[in-house]
Amino acid sequence: MNKKKFSSLSNKIVFSIAFVSLIITLVVFIISSKINKEAFHQIEIEKADIIAQTIEPLIAVNIYLGMEERINQTILQLTENPNILAVKVLKNDKLIGYVESKEHKSSAKDFFVIKRAITQPNTTKTIGELVLTYSNKGYNELIAKYKNLTLMLVFTLVILFIFFGLYVKKLLFPLREISKLLKGYSVNKNIEVPFSSQNNEIGLISNTLNNMQKKILQYSKKQENINHFLEEKVNEKTLELSMQLYMDSLTGLPNRFSIFHEIAKIEDGALLIINIDDFKEINDFFGHVAGDGILKKFSNRLKSIFKDSEFINLKRLSGDEFALLFTQKPPLQEFIYIAEKLIKDVEKMIFFHEKNEISIRVTIGGAYQIEGALEKADIALKSAKKEQKPFLLYDEKLNIEDVYKKNMEWVRKLKKAIKHDKIVPYFQPIFNNYTDEIASYESLIRLIDDDGNVISPYFFLNIAKKSRLYSTLTKIMIEKSCIYFEHLNYDFSINLSVEDILDKDIVNFIKEKIQTHNVENRIIFEILESEGIEKYEEVFAFITQMKKLGCRIAVDDFGSGYSNFEHLLKLNVNYIKIDGTLIKNLDKDISAQIIVETIVDFAKRLNLLTVAEFVHNKEIFQKVKELNIDRTQGYYLSEPQKNTINN
Amino acid sequence: MKRAALLFFILASYAYGYTYNKLLLKAQASIFPKIIMLDKKLYEKLVDGKIVYTIVYEKSDYYTASEIGKFIESNYRHTSTQYAFKINLVEFSEFSSKTDATAIYILNSDTQVQELAKYANKKGIITFAYDINYLKSGFLFSLMLEKSAVIYLNKENLNSNKIDFVDSLYQIVNFIDKNSI
Repeated sequence: MNKKKFSSLSNKIVFSIAFVSLIITLVVFIISSKINKEAFHQIEIEKADIIAQTIEPLIAVNIYLGMEERINQTILQLTENPNILAVKVLKNDKLIGYVESKEHKSSAKDFFVIKRAITQPNTTKTIGELVLTYSNKGYNELIAKYKNLTLMLVFTLVILFIFFGLYVKKLLFPLREISKLLKGYSVNKNIEVPFSSQNNEIGLISNTLNNMQKKILQYSKKQENINHFLEEKVNEKTLELSMQLYMDSLTGLPNRFSIFHEIAKIEDGALLIINIDDFKEINDFFGHVAGDGILKKFSNRLKSIFKDSEFINLKRLSGDEFALLFTQKPPLQEFIYIAEKLIKDVEKMIFFHEKNEISIRVTIGGAYQIEGALEKADIALKSAKKEQKPFLLYDEKLNIEDVYKKNMEWVRKLKKAIKHDKIVPYFQPIFNNYTDEIASYESLIRLIDDDGNVISPYFFLNIAKKSRLYSTLTKIMIEKSCIYFEHLNYDFSINLSVEDILDKDIVNFIKEKIQTHNVENRIIFEILESEGIEKYEEVFAFITQMKKLGCRIAVDDFGSGYSNFEHLLKLNVNYIKIDGTLIKNLDKDISAQIIVETIVDFAKRLNLLTVAEFVHNKEIFQKVKELNIDRTQGYYLSEPQKNTINN
Repeated sequence: MKRAALLFFILASYAYGYTYNKLLLKAQASIFPKIIMLDKKLYEKLVDGKIVYTIVYEKSDYYTASEIGKFIESNYRHTSTQYAFKINLVEFSEFSSKTDATAIYILNSDTQVQELAKYANKKGIITFAYDINYLKSGFLFSLMLEKSAVIYLNKENLNSNKIDFVDSLYQIVNFIDKNSI
C-alpha cells in the first residue's frame, strides 16, 4: 500500500493566508497603482496649472501694459523650476515670449503641455495664451517612490509571512510530536503524551489523550477478561458440539462423521458394515421405543465383544447400521473370521422387550482396503442383501461401480429422450390362430438414441423404475398409443405394471386419454403377473373400473411367477398371455408343453383367450396351434414395427 | 499720426515750458491710462459713468498736455472698454476740489503739489506724475525708461482703502518711498 504523503496543516494555513494576502495585495496594488498614477499625473497637471495660473496675471499685466519686453524676463524665472521645460507666450497667435530649459533643448520627450488663456486684468477678455511644457520627471519620481514603497511593503509582507509561518509551525510543532508518539501506541503500552503542562489547546489535547489512554487501558483489561471468559466458554461449547457432531446420542458410539474423520487418518485398514435385518419390522411391530432399546442393547453387546480389540473401533452409521473400523489391517482370514463369528454371535443374542423375546439377524458387508472403504463395504452389504448372503466381502470383480456408472448413464439418456420426445411406441401384431389374421397389436416401448438406434426396454426399464421415471414412460406410451390407434380399426394392448395401477395419477391419466381418443373398446391392458400381484383389492378395483369403460384386461407372463388360478378367477381378466419362457422351448420341452396345456385348458374352461408370445420359429408356431392357443405373437410372424402393417 | 505727434513734442519742447522726454511722455501716455483699468474699485471713481483722465499742467505746458490728451484719446479709441474715456486738461492754478477726475496726471510744475496729492489720495483718485520726484509729494505712479519701461509705485500711499489694483500689477512695479527717491 502506498504511504500517503504527509501534508503539513501549518504549512497549508500559512500558504493559504500568504496566497490570499498576496492576491489581495496584488489586486490592491494594481488598483491603487492605477488610481495613484492618475492621481499623480493629475497632481502634476494641477501643479503646472497652478504655476500657469500664478504667472498668467503677471504676463497678462505685461501684455496689457505693452511691456512685452519684460515677459521673457518674467517667464525665464519659471525655468528655474526643473519641471518646467518651456514656456511660450502668444499674443494673437504671435509668439511674444519663449524660454526653454536645457533639458528640453536636449530633446527630452517625457512631458506634457498646459495651455492657459491670458486674460486682460480686471476683465475676461483674452489677450494671449500661455503654453507651459511641463516635465514628467516629478511624476516619474513619484511613481518610482510609490513602486519602491510597494516593493518594500511586499517584501515586508513576505518577511512577515515567513515569520508568521515559522511561528505557526512552532505553535503546531507539539501536535506533530504527539502524533509521532501516538504512532507507536498500542493498547498495552502506556505513552506519556508531552506538552500537557501547556495552558492552551495543545495542553488540552495532551491531557485528554492521557486520560483517554487510561480509559482505554481499563477498557482493554475488562475486554481481555471478557475475551478470556468467552474463549473458555467457546472451547467448552466447541468440545460439546464436537462430541455431538461425532457421537451418536442414542448409543454413545462414534457416529458416521467420526468414520470419515478417522478413515482419513488411517494408512491401511479395513471396514465391516453391520446391518440388522428387517429392523423396520421390529420398529413397526414393537414400536420405536422398543427399537431404540434394542439398538442400545445391541451396541452395548458389540462394545463388550470388541472391548479388548485395540485396533477395532465400533461406530453407529445410521438407524440399524453399525460399523467396525479396523485401524490396522488384520490378515484376510482373521478379518473374514471376525465377520462370520459376529454373525453367529448375533444370532445367539436374545433381547427382551416387556415380555417378548426378540431375536435379530445381521448382514455384513466388508471392505478389505481403507481407500473408499465406506462405499465399498456398503456395496458389499447391498450385494449380500441382494444375494441373501449373511456376509460378503467387496470384490473388485463385482464391477458394481461400473454397473452404477452405467445406470447413471441410462438415467441421463432416459431424461434426454423424454425431453426430446424420443420415447416411442413400436407395434407388434398378435395373430388369430384360427383365421391367421391380425387380431390386435401390442404397443411396445422403444427409446431412439442420439444415433437413431432403436433401444429395447430391456436396457432401461428397470432403471426407469429405480429413478422414478417409469410413470412418465407409461404416460407417454398411453398417450402416443391412444393417438395412434384413435383412427385405426385395430385392438391394441399396453403393458401396465402393478405400480402403475396403484398410482392414482396414472389411473386418472389413462381414463382421460382413452375417453379423449375414444379407444375404450379397443384397448387391452396387459398386467404383469410375474411381478406378483400382492395388492389384489386395488388391482381388482382398477380392472373393474376399466371394464366398466369397455376396456379389456390381459394377464402378462402368466406361468412365470407364483401363478395363482384363484386370484386369476377373482381378477376377471379377458386374456392370458402365457409366459415366453414356457413358449420358447415349447417344441422340445415336454414339461413346458404340459404346463401350457394346463393353462390353455384352464383358460378355455373360464372362457378366456390365450396368447402365446415369443414364437420365434415355425415348429413352435405349429405347436402353439396344436395346443389350441388362440393367439400368436412373435418374431416368427412379425417383429415390432414403427407402424402397423397396413400403415 | 504717431510720427507727427512725436515731431510736435520735440518742436514744442524747444519753443515753450519745461523740457520733457518725448519718449517718456509717450510711454506714460500709453501705460498710465491702462493702469487705471487695473483698479479693482474703478467703478467708485467714475465721473458720470466715465473715466476722467485729468492732465494737470502749467500754462506753458498746455500744448504738451493737449497733445498728450490727443494721443491718449486716439489710443483709447482703438481699445474697447466698458467705460467711456474722457481727457480733462486742467492747469495747476485752476485745479480745485471741484475738478472732476478719476485719475490725475501731472506734468512738471513750480508750485507745491503736495496738497493736490493729498486731496487726490483722500478722494481715492489715482495719481500719476511725469517726474518720479513727485512721488515724494505723495503721487502714486510714475514711469521711467531704463532698459525697459519701469513703473514706480509710491508704497506710502497705498494704504488708502480706495486704492486696490490687481495683484499682478504689484509684481511688475518698483515700490519706492520718500527715502529711496
